[in-house]
Amino acid sequence: MTTRDADEYVVRFSFWSRFQHASVILLFGLLVVTGLPQKWPYNDVSRWLIDAMGGIFATRWIHRAVGVAFAVLVVAHLSVVIVGLLTGKMKPSMFLGRKDFQDAILNLKYYMGYADSPPRFGRYDYRQKFEYWGLIFGSAVMVATGFLLMYPIAVSLALPAELIPAAKVMHSAEALFAFLIVLIWHMAGAHLSPEAFPLDTSIFTGKIRKEKLKHEHPLEYDDLFPKP
Amino acid sequence: MKRRAARFSVSVAAVLLGATVVLRASGPPAQSASPSPPVPAAAQATPAPIPESVANCLGCHEDKGLTLDLKDGSTMSLYVDMAEIARSVHGSQLMCTDCHAKYDEDHPSGRTFDSQRAYTVSSYELCKKCHFDTYTRTLESVHYDLLKSGFEGAPICADCHGTHDIQNPHAKRAMMSRSCAACHTDIYDAYAKSVHGRVLVEDDNQDVPACADCHTHHQVQDPATTKFRLSAPEACVRCHGDEPLMQKYGISTMVAKTYLADFHGVTASLSRNLAEDRQQIVVTCNDCHGVHDIASPKLRGPEAMKATVTTACAKCHQGAAMNFPAAWLSHYPPSPQHAPLVWGVDLFYRIFIPFGVIGLCLHLLLHAYRMSSGR
Repeated sequence: MTTRDADEYVVRFSFWSRFQHASVILLFGLLVVTGLPQKWPYNDVSRWLIDAMGGIFATRWIHRAVGVAFAVLVVAHLSVVIVGLLTGKMKPSMFLGRKDFQDAILNLKYYMGYADSPPRFGRYDYRQKFEYWGLIFGSAVMVATGFLLMYPIAVSLALPAELIPAAKVMHSAEALFAFLIVLIWHMAGAHLSPEAFPLDTSIFTGKIRKEKLKHEHPLEYDDLFPKP
Repeated sequence: MKRRAARFSVSVAAVLLGATVVLRASGPPAQSASPSPPVPAAAQATPAPIPESVANCLGCHEDKGLTLDLKDGSTMSLYVDMAEIARSVHGSQLMCTDCHAKYDEDHPSGRTFDSQRAYTVSSYELCKKCHFDTYTRTLESVHYDLLKSGFEGAPICADCHGTHDIQNPHAKRAMMSRSCAACHTDIYDAYAKSVHGRVLVEDDNQDVPACADCHTHHQVQDPATTKFRLSAPEACVRCHGDEPLMQKYGISTMVAKTYLADFHGVTASLSRNLAEDRQQIVVTCNDCHGVHDIASPKLRGPEAMKATVTTACAKCHQGAAMNFPAAWLSHYPPSPQHAPLVWGVDLFYRIFIPFGVIGLCLHLLLHAYRMSSGR
């Protein structure tokens, strides 16, 4: 069984999932490149980037256009998930449960040497779930504050105008946080981690080696290949 | 040219530009071999003998009755007041012929001018012999464009600096602004009543900006362009970002920092040097504080300032409600008293971001520790 597993693959991600991931790379990358220079407009690198993109007006328009596209992606993602869950075609594999918090503690114990093996994870481990929910809430904050900043007049007609500078602070700080998480956490998990180095390819190819699945997501493996 | 009895002209200084006399022996001309002519009364106080060439000029130009008939029927006094030249910055450095170079001893030649102003304008080029960089800057000014278009009244060197009586322009800044006032009377009156102008005019305060501090001295640009409009924050920040200077008057330098950090401040700063003259309007200091008539916001009071800000916002943001100016924190950094929501959001992220990032890093380090020790 083990020898066969080494060369056998199972499907892990659908085309829709892979498309969403590729879109996030593109859109998030563009938002960072057009957005961070606006956070630090008086930095030399920022000025160089802004000039290279055609000046502050062009940079802002690219940022807004990409931001709208990102908002559309977020809405599409949530719609597909909600419809999928309601019709029973999707399993709530990203939902956080008590097990995830227990896994986190058990895994840290394992890291510190108080346990001999890591906890057995399901389709997504707690690190992946926390990152997913971070992305969902982060996106909600960014899209909401982004629209507030895009339509300040409409906002001030219905709500206190102090929301606008508050939205600016929030948009700017949340962006920095998201960028740092992707830079530190996602890069470490998907590229630098000994299990993934140099790149965990399954989100691009859609498939995962059975052995790797058994090692990283043993509960899902047991579900897919129940022991007789 | 001929000698005539004539009235003493008080405008003599404006007539002969940059004339020149060496009153102290400052160079070879004083070592002339020929005997000196009688020393004029006005120069008797000075110890050095007058050089021969100057003495030759004064032989005639000391005469208060010396005049020239102009084509417009008026006469121009050719009298030169030696004492006035002695007091000027050029008094010890230049001789008559350094500026009035085309004249030899045989003049008058009968040559004359259309009018006194035509003579002054014809002397525009005299200063460039020494002040070439300044002269070339004036050629790029809006004033030179006016002169080129045929408007004789456009100011040239002598109109602001004087002629035989030229003083150090850096010594008295109030003088500079009054030069501009000769033509820009209304603007000067508004400036003289402003928070800046009043103390310059009344107390000779040297800290406040005079005309040229914002408009530049010689390369004066058309203030109606977007480029000039966008240069306003830079001009204001030069003083309002200067901590020791602002402390002296109890003004916060946050006014500059908060504007530059704001969306509009970024727009103004980053679009300032665009090649094309974009008509993208962005709010700058002047829109809320005024231009020449700037008044102290403390004295105007918060209600009056709020009304002005509302008007300024509405210029671009059509349909803005009365509460819209609250989107601008009035140069105050967010605090629990002032903009608590902005302050709270900022504080939350100041704690949340380091907490989150350090936590994630620790998690990664522990992972690496286990992987390396488990080998």
